[in-house]
Amino acid sequence: MAYKPQYGPGTSIVAENRRKQMNPGQKLEKVRSVTDEDIVLILGHRAPGSAYPTAHPPLAEQQEPECPMRRIVKPTEGAKAGDRVRYIQFADSMFVAPSQPYQRTYSEMYRFRGIDPGTLSGRQIVECRERDLEKYAKELVETEMFDPARVGIRGATVHGHSLRLAEDGMMFDMLQRCLLDEDGIVKYIKNQIGEPLDRAVAVGKPMDEKWLKAHTTIFHSLAGTSYRDDAEYIEYVQRIHSLRTKYGFMPKEE
Amino acid sequence: MTQAAFPQVRIVPMRMLKPETAERLLNTLTGITGIRRMIIHGPGLPATVPYGPARGSPNPHSDRRAIQIGDAEVALRVQVGEVILEVEDAPVIEEIRSHCDDFFTEFSYQLQEGRFMKTAPTLVDYAKFGPDADETIIGLADPRSGEGPVVIRAPR
Repeated sequence: MAYKPQYGPGTSIVAENRRKQMNPGQKLEKVRSVTDEDIVLILGHRAPGSAYPTAHPPLAEQQEPECPMRRIVKPTEGAKAGDRVRYIQFADSMFVAPSQPYQRTYSEMYRFRGIDPGTLSGRQIVECRERDLEKYAKELVETEMFDPARVGIRGATVHGHSLRLAEDGMMFDMLQRCLLDEDGIVKYIKNQIGEPLDRAVAVGKPMDEKWLKAHTTIFHSLAGTSYRDDAEYIEYVQRIHSLRTKYGFMPKEE
Repeated sequence: MTQAAFPQVRIVPMRMLKPETAERLLNTLTGITGIRRMIIHGPGLPATVPYGPARGSPNPHSDRRAIQIGDAEVALRVQVGEVILEVEDAPVIEEIRSHCDDFFTEFSYQLQEGRFMKTAPTLVDYAKFGPDADETIIGLADPRSGEGPVVIRAPR
Protein backbone atom coordinates (compact mmCIF):
# COMPACT_ATOMS: atom_id res chain seq x y z
CA MET A 1 0.00 0.00 0.00
CA ALA A 2 1.29 3.43 -0.88
CA TYR A 3 2.35 5.63 2.02
CA LYS A 4 -0.19 8.31 2.90
CA PRO A 5 1.12 11.05 5.16
CA GLN A 6 -1.08 11.94 8.11
CA TYR A 7 0.56 15.37 8.62
CA GLY A 8 -0.32 15.56 12.30
CA PRO A 9 -2.32 14.15 15.19
CA GLY A 10 -5.38 15.60 16.87
CA THR A 11 -9.14 15.68 16.68
CA SER A 12 -9.73 19.40 17.35
CA ILE A 13 -10.44 22.06 14.75
CA VAL A 14 -6.91 23.42 15.31
CA ALA A 15 -5.37 20.06 14.44
CA GLU A 16 -7.61 19.78 11.41
CA ASN A 17 -6.56 23.24 10.18
CA ARG A 18 -2.90 22.35 10.67
CA ARG A 19 -3.33 19.24 8.54
CA LYS A 20 -5.24 21.20 5.95
CA GLN A 21 -2.52 23.83 5.59
CA MET A 22 0.21 21.21 5.37
CA ASN A 23 -1.51 18.92 2.90
CA PRO A 24 -0.55 20.05 -0.61
CA GLY A 25 -3.50 18.08 -1.97
CA GLN A 26 -5.89 20.43 -0.20
CA LYS A 27 -6.50 23.70 -1.97
CA LEU A 28 -6.32 26.64 0.39
CA GLU A 29 -9.39 28.82 0.44
CA LYS A 30 -8.82 32.16 -1.30
CA VAL A 31 -10.13 34.90 0.97
CA ARG A 32 -8.89 38.13 -0.61
CA SER A 33 -7.19 39.31 -3.75
CA VAL A 34 -4.05 41.40 -3.87
CA THR A 35 -2.40 42.43 -7.12
CA ASP A 36 1.13 41.39 -8.11
CA GLU A 37 2.20 45.02 -7.94
CA ASP A 38 0.90 45.31 -4.36
CA ILE A 39 2.94 42.29 -3.34
CA VAL A 40 6.07 43.77 -4.93
CA LEU A 41 5.46 47.04 -3.08
CA ILE A 42 5.05 45.36 0.32
CA LEU A 43 8.11 43.17 -0.23
CA GLY A 44 10.18 46.23 -1.16
CA HIS A 45 12.93 44.30 -2.95
CA ARG A 46 12.52 45.92 -6.39
CA ALA A 47 10.46 48.68 -8.00
CA PRO A 48 7.23 47.39 -9.55
CA GLY A 49 7.65 46.80 -13.27
CA SER A 50 11.44 46.76 -13.16
CA ALA A 51 13.44 43.79 -14.40
CA TYR A 52 14.52 41.13 -11.94
CA PRO A 53 18.15 41.74 -10.96
CA THR A 54 20.18 38.59 -11.38
CA ALA A 55 22.77 36.83 -9.27
CA HIS A 56 24.11 34.71 -12.14
CA PRO A 57 23.43 34.24 -15.88
CA PRO A 58 20.36 32.19 -16.83
CA LEU A 59 20.98 28.44 -16.60
CA ALA A 60 20.36 28.05 -20.34
CA GLU A 61 23.36 30.27 -21.06
CA GLN A 62 25.60 28.46 -18.64
CA GLN A 63 27.63 25.38 -19.33
CA GLU A 64 26.22 23.03 -16.75
CA PRO A 65 28.23 19.97 -15.81
CA GLU A 66 26.80 16.58 -16.64
CA CYS A 67 25.06 15.55 -13.44
CA PRO A 68 22.32 12.96 -12.89
CA MET A 69 20.84 15.02 -10.05
CA ARG A 70 20.40 18.05 -12.31
CA ARG A 71 18.50 15.86 -14.74
CA ILE A 72 16.11 14.69 -12.01
CA VAL A 73 15.55 18.03 -10.22
CA LYS A 74 14.13 20.63 -12.56
CA PRO A 75 15.02 24.20 -11.60
CA THR A 76 12.27 26.63 -10.53
CA GLU A 77 11.50 29.60 -12.77
CA GLY A 78 13.56 31.91 -10.57
CA ALA A 79 16.56 29.59 -10.53
CA LYS A 80 16.33 29.14 -14.30
CA ALA A 81 16.50 32.91 -14.81
CA GLY A 82 19.27 33.39 -12.22
CA ASP A 83 17.26 35.63 -9.87
CA ARG A 84 18.57 36.95 -6.59
CA VAL A 85 17.48 35.24 -3.37
CA ARG A 86 15.04 37.46 -1.47
CA TYR A 87 12.70 36.99 1.50
CA ILE A 88 9.33 37.55 3.06
CA GLN A 89 8.83 37.42 6.81
CA PHE A 90 5.61 37.02 8.76
CA ALA A 91 4.80 37.72 12.41
CA ASP A 92 1.72 35.86 13.67
CA SER A 93 -0.22 36.91 16.73
CA MET A 94 -0.82 34.30 19.42
CA PHE A 95 -4.41 35.52 19.56
CA VAL A 96 -5.78 32.90 17.16
CA ALA A 97 -3.91 34.00 14.04
CA PRO A 98 -4.55 31.66 11.10
CA SER A 99 -0.97 30.40 10.93
CA GLN A 100 2.07 30.14 13.19
CA PRO A 101 5.81 30.09 12.49
CA TYR A 102 6.32 26.30 12.74
CA GLN A 103 3.07 25.69 10.93
CA ARG A 104 4.15 28.04 8.13
CA THR A 105 7.44 26.23 7.68
CA TYR A 106 5.77 22.81 7.56
CA SER A 107 3.15 24.06 5.10
CA GLU A 108 5.65 25.78 2.85
CA MET A 109 7.95 22.79 2.78
CA TYR A 110 5.07 20.61 1.64
CA ARG A 111 3.68 23.10 -0.86
CA PHE A 112 6.54 25.09 -2.39
CA ARG A 113 9.80 24.24 -4.13
CA GLY A 114 13.24 25.83 -3.82
CA ILE A 115 12.68 27.58 -0.48
CA ASP A 116 14.75 28.12 2.64
CA PRO A 117 12.51 28.86 5.62
CA GLY A 118 13.77 30.13 8.96
CA THR A 119 11.55 29.54 11.97
CA LEU A 120 11.63 31.55 15.18
CA SER A 121 9.23 31.84 18.09
CA GLY A 122 7.34 34.84 16.83
CA ARG A 123 8.28 35.19 13.20
CA GLN A 124 8.99 33.07 10.22
CA ILE A 125 11.09 34.03 7.24
CA VAL A 126 11.18 32.28 3.90
CA GLU A 127 13.90 32.88 1.35
CA CYS A 128 13.88 31.91 -2.30
CA ARG A 129 14.47 33.20 -5.81
CA GLU A 130 12.74 36.53 -6.33
CA ARG A 131 10.12 35.60 -8.92
CA ASP A 132 9.25 32.41 -7.04
CA LEU A 133 9.01 34.46 -3.86
CA GLU A 134 6.47 36.83 -5.38
CA LYS A 135 4.34 33.88 -6.50
CA TYR A 136 4.52 32.21 -3.07
CA ALA A 137 3.98 35.48 -1.20
CA LYS A 138 0.83 36.12 -3.20
CA GLU A 139 -0.48 32.72 -2.26
CA LEU A 140 0.42 33.18 1.40
CA VAL A 141 -1.31 36.58 1.56
CA GLU A 142 -4.40 35.80 -0.48
CA THR A 143 -5.38 32.54 1.16
CA GLU A 144 -6.63 31.57 4.59
CA MET A 145 -3.07 31.54 5.96
CA PHE A 146 -3.23 35.32 6.35
CA ASP A 147 -5.33 37.76 8.33
CA PRO A 148 -4.72 41.49 7.85
CA ALA A 149 -5.05 42.30 11.56
CA ARG A 150 -3.35 39.37 13.30
CA VAL A 151 -0.61 38.59 10.80
CA GLY A 152 2.04 41.14 9.91
CA ILE A 153 4.44 41.16 6.97
CA ARG A 154 7.52 42.38 8.80
CA GLY A 155 11.06 42.18 7.54
CA ALA A 156 12.54 43.81 10.65
CA THR A 157 11.33 44.97 14.10
CA VAL A 158 8.76 42.20 14.33
CA HIS A 159 7.94 42.59 18.05
CA GLY A 160 4.22 42.15 18.77
CA HIS A 161 3.17 38.53 18.31
CA SER A 162 2.80 37.84 22.04
CA LEU A 163 1.37 41.22 23.06
CA ARG A 164 -2.24 42.08 23.68
CA LEU A 165 -4.03 43.36 20.61
CA ALA A 166 -4.77 47.05 20.17
CA GLU A 167 -8.26 48.36 20.76
CA ASP A 168 -9.13 48.09 17.08
CA GLY A 169 -7.96 44.45 16.99
CA MET A 170 -4.64 45.09 15.24
CA MET A 171 -1.46 43.37 16.41
CA PHE A 172 1.08 45.79 17.90
CA ASP A 173 3.62 47.07 15.40
CA MET A 174 6.25 49.54 16.52
CA LEU A 175 6.69 50.75 12.92
CA GLN A 176 2.95 50.83 12.14
CA ARG A 177 3.40 49.31 8.70
CA CYS A 178 -0.31 48.81 8.32
CA LEU A 179 -3.32 50.73 9.53
CA LEU A 180 -6.95 49.84 9.97
CA ASP A 181 -8.53 52.57 7.87
CA GLU A 182 -11.90 54.18 8.54
CA ASP A 183 -13.48 52.07 5.80
CA GLY A 184 -12.54 48.93 7.77
CA ILE A 185 -9.81 47.86 5.34
CA VAL A 186 -6.24 47.27 6.43
CA LYS A 187 -3.73 49.21 4.38
CA TYR A 188 0.03 48.89 4.28
CA ILE A 189 1.62 52.31 4.31
CA LYS A 190 5.19 51.04 4.69
CA ASN A 191 6.98 48.13 3.09
CA GLN A 192 8.07 45.17 5.18
CA ILE A 193 11.21 46.84 6.52
CA GLY A 194 9.41 50.08 7.43
CA GLU A 195 10.13 52.39 4.49
CA PRO A 196 7.12 54.53 3.54
CA LEU A 197 5.29 53.50 0.36
CA ASP A 198 4.24 55.94 -2.35
CA ARG A 199 0.68 54.68 -2.12
CA ALA A 200 -1.24 52.67 0.44
CA VAL A 201 -1.65 48.97 -0.35
CA ALA A 202 -4.98 47.49 0.71
CA VAL A 203 -4.92 43.90 1.95
CA GLY A 204 -8.58 43.50 2.83
CA LYS A 205 -10.76 43.53 5.90
CA PRO A 206 -9.71 41.80 9.13
CA MET A 207 -11.54 38.51 9.53
CA ASP A 208 -14.08 38.27 12.33
CA GLU A 209 -13.58 36.37 15.56
CA LYS A 210 -15.76 33.43 14.49
CA TRP A 211 -13.80 32.90 11.27
CA LEU A 212 -10.49 33.16 13.11
CA LYS A 213 -11.52 30.56 15.68
CA ALA A 214 -12.58 28.24 12.88
CA HIS A 215 -9.35 28.70 10.89
CA THR A 216 -6.65 29.12 13.50
CA THR A 217 -3.71 26.76 13.92
CA ILE A 218 -2.77 27.75 17.47
CA PHE A 219 -4.16 26.40 20.71
CA HIS A 220 -5.10 29.18 23.12
CA SER A 221 -7.11 28.41 26.23
CA LEU A 222 -8.47 31.95 26.56
CA ALA A 223 -8.92 33.08 22.97
CA GLY A 224 -9.73 29.85 21.14
CA THR A 225 -9.47 26.08 21.52
CA SER A 226 -7.61 24.81 24.57
CA TYR A 227 -4.75 22.38 24.05
CA ARG A 228 -6.05 20.18 26.88
CA ASP A 229 -9.27 19.63 24.97
CA ASP A 230 -7.42 17.66 22.30
CA ALA A 231 -6.69 14.34 24.01
CA GLU A 232 -5.18 12.75 20.91
CA TYR A 233 -2.67 15.58 20.47
CA ILE A 234 -1.61 15.33 24.11
CA GLU A 235 -1.24 11.55 23.86
CA TYR A 236 0.98 11.96 20.79
CA VAL A 237 3.18 14.65 22.32
CA GLN A 238 3.52 12.67 25.55
CA ARG A 239 4.51 9.58 23.55
CA ILE A 240 7.23 11.51 21.72
CA HIS A 241 8.40 13.01 25.01
CA SER A 242 8.51 9.62 26.70
CA LEU A 243 10.35 7.94 23.82
CA ARG A 244 13.02 10.60 23.49
CA THR A 245 13.56 10.68 27.23
CA LYS A 246 14.03 6.93 27.31
CA TYR A 247 16.35 7.14 24.34
CA GLY A 248 18.44 9.61 26.31
CA PHE A 249 19.51 6.63 28.44
CA MET A 250 20.67 4.80 25.28
CA PRO A 251 18.85 1.52 25.97
CA LYS A 252 20.71 -1.49 24.58
CA GLU A 253 19.44 -4.91 23.76
CA GLU A 254 21.55 -7.60 25.38
CA MET B 1 11.33 56.50 45.95
CA THR B 2 8.83 53.81 46.82
CA GLN B 3 7.90 53.55 50.43
CA ALA B 4 6.42 50.34 51.76
CA ALA B 5 3.73 52.40 53.47
CA PHE B 6 2.04 53.32 50.20
CA PRO B 7 0.00 50.70 48.37
CA GLN B 8 0.41 50.27 44.63
CA VAL B 9 -1.97 49.04 41.95
CA ARG B 10 -1.71 48.26 38.28
CA ILE B 11 -4.51 48.70 35.75
CA VAL B 12 -4.09 46.14 32.96
CA PRO B 13 -6.68 46.45 30.17
CA MET B 14 -7.19 43.42 27.92
CA ARG B 15 -6.42 45.59 24.88
CA MET B 16 -3.64 48.10 24.33
CA LEU B 17 -5.10 51.59 24.57
CA LYS B 18 -5.20 54.21 21.85
CA PRO B 19 -3.99 57.67 22.90
CA GLU B 20 -7.57 59.00 22.97
CA THR B 21 -8.76 56.22 25.28
CA ALA B 22 -5.66 56.55 27.45
CA GLU B 23 -6.31 60.28 27.69
CA ARG B 24 -9.89 59.68 28.82
CA LEU B 25 -8.81 57.04 31.35
CA LEU B 26 -6.05 59.18 32.82
CA ASN B 27 -8.33 62.19 33.06
CA THR B 28 -10.81 60.01 34.94
CA LEU B 29 -8.02 59.04 37.32
CA THR B 30 -6.89 62.63 37.93
CA GLY B 31 -10.31 63.27 39.47
CA ILE B 32 -9.42 60.87 42.29
CA THR B 33 -7.61 62.43 45.24
CA GLY B 34 -4.92 60.32 46.85
CA ILE B 35 -2.92 59.21 43.83
CA ARG B 36 0.73 59.99 44.49
CA ARG B 37 2.55 58.75 41.45
CA MET B 38 1.73 57.12 38.15
CA ILE B 39 3.63 55.32 35.38
CA ILE B 40 2.30 54.80 31.88
CA HIS B 41 3.85 51.57 30.70
CA GLY B 42 3.89 49.71 27.39
CA PRO B 43 5.92 48.85 24.31
CA GLY B 44 7.90 51.79 22.92
CA LEU B 45 7.15 53.74 19.75
CA PRO B 46 10.53 55.20 18.74
CA ALA B 47 10.83 58.32 16.60
CA THR B 48 13.32 56.63 14.28
CA VAL B 49 13.56 53.04 13.11
CA PRO B 50 15.96 51.50 15.67
CA TYR B 51 17.30 48.57 13.65
CA GLY B 52 16.96 46.70 10.39
CA PRO B 53 17.76 47.90 6.89
CA ALA B 54 15.74 51.12 7.39
CA ARG B 55 17.62 52.00 10.60
CA GLY B 56 17.72 55.71 11.37
CA SER B 57 14.89 56.71 9.04
CA PRO B 58 11.91 58.53 10.56
CA ASN B 59 9.14 56.38 12.00
CA PRO B 60 5.80 58.17 11.73
CA HIS B 61 3.28 56.55 14.09
CA SER B 62 -0.22 57.86 14.76
CA ASP B 63 -0.14 56.67 18.40
CA ARG B 64 2.96 58.65 19.33
CA ARG B 65 1.52 62.02 20.21
CA ALA B 66 0.93 64.39 23.10
CA ILE B 67 -2.11 63.92 25.32
CA GLN B 68 -3.65 66.37 27.77
CA ILE B 69 -4.01 65.06 31.31
CA GLY B 70 -5.54 67.57 33.70
CA ASP B 71 -3.54 70.75 33.27
CA ALA B 72 -0.43 69.05 31.92
CA GLU B 73 0.60 67.87 28.49
CA VAL B 74 2.25 64.45 28.33
CA ALA B 75 4.17 63.28 25.27
CA LEU B 76 3.27 59.62 24.82
CA ARG B 77 6.24 57.56 23.68
CA VAL B 78 4.66 54.15 24.27
CA GLN B 79 1.52 52.30 23.34
CA VAL B 80 -0.35 52.32 26.63
CA GLY B 81 -0.41 48.74 27.93
CA GLU B 82 -0.82 49.34 31.65
CA VAL B 83 -0.99 52.14 34.20
CA ILE B 84 0.85 51.72 37.49
CA LEU B 85 -0.33 53.85 40.39
CA GLU B 86 0.95 54.58 43.88
CA VAL B 87 -1.82 55.71 46.18
CA GLU B 88 -2.11 57.18 49.66
CA ASP B 89 -4.15 54.40 51.25
CA ALA B 90 -6.39 51.40 50.56
CA PRO B 91 -9.76 53.22 50.13
CA VAL B 92 -8.31 55.04 47.11
CA ILE B 93 -7.86 51.64 45.43
CA GLU B 94 -11.57 50.95 45.75
CA GLU B 95 -12.31 54.34 44.21
CA ILE B 96 -9.99 53.53 41.29
CA ARG B 97 -11.72 50.17 40.91
CA SER B 98 -15.17 51.73 40.72
CA HIS B 99 -13.96 54.29 38.14
CA CYS B 100 -12.37 51.52 36.05
CA ASP B 101 -15.50 49.35 36.26
CA ASP B 102 -17.43 52.21 34.69
CA PHE B 103 -14.70 53.00 32.18
CA PHE B 104 -13.89 49.59 30.68
CA THR B 105 -17.15 48.55 29.08
CA GLU B 106 -16.01 47.33 25.65
CA PHE B 107 -13.29 45.03 26.94
CA SER B 108 -12.26 43.81 30.37
CA TYR B 109 -9.39 44.86 32.59
CA GLN B 110 -7.54 43.67 35.66
CA LEU B 111 -6.68 45.70 38.72
CA GLN B 112 -3.69 44.12 40.42
CA GLU B 113 -2.29 45.07 43.80
CA GLY B 114 1.39 44.60 44.54
CA ARG B 115 4.75 46.35 44.22
CA PHE B 116 5.36 47.62 40.72
CA MET B 117 7.72 50.57 41.18
CA LYS B 118 11.44 50.61 41.84
CA THR B 119 12.44 50.33 45.48
CA ALA B 120 16.11 51.27 45.08
CA PRO B 121 18.05 53.29 42.52
CA THR B 122 19.95 51.18 40.00
CA LEU B 123 23.44 51.82 38.68
CA VAL B 124 21.96 53.62 35.67
CA ASP B 125 19.91 55.88 37.94
CA TYR B 126 23.07 56.68 39.91
CA ALA B 127 25.00 57.40 36.71
CA LYS B 128 22.26 59.62 35.28
CA PHE B 129 20.96 61.43 38.34
CA GLY B 130 23.97 61.30 40.68
CA PRO B 131 24.05 60.53 44.39
CA ASP B 132 21.73 63.38 45.42
CA ALA B 133 18.85 62.60 43.08
CA ASP B 134 15.30 63.45 44.01
CA GLU B 135 14.09 60.10 45.29
CA THR B 136 10.48 60.71 44.32
CA ILE B 137 11.33 60.60 40.63
CA ILE B 138 13.47 57.45 40.64
CA GLY B 139 11.77 54.80 38.58
CA LEU B 140 9.15 57.15 37.19
CA ALA B 141 10.86 58.08 33.95
CA ASP B 142 13.31 56.27 31.72
CA PRO B 143 16.74 57.62 32.79
CA ARG B 144 18.07 57.14 29.25
CA SER B 145 15.37 59.30 27.65
CA GLY B 146 16.50 62.54 29.28
CA GLU B 147 12.88 63.42 30.03
CA GLY B 148 11.67 63.99 33.55
CA PRO B 149 8.30 63.14 35.05
CA VAL B 150 5.27 65.38 34.54
CA VAL B 151 3.51 66.91 37.51
CA ILE B 152 -0.29 66.81 37.29
CA ARG B 153 -2.23 68.90 39.74
CA ALA B 154 -5.61 67.57 40.78
CA PRO B 155 -8.45 69.80 39.54
CA ARG B 156 -9.87 72.03 42.26
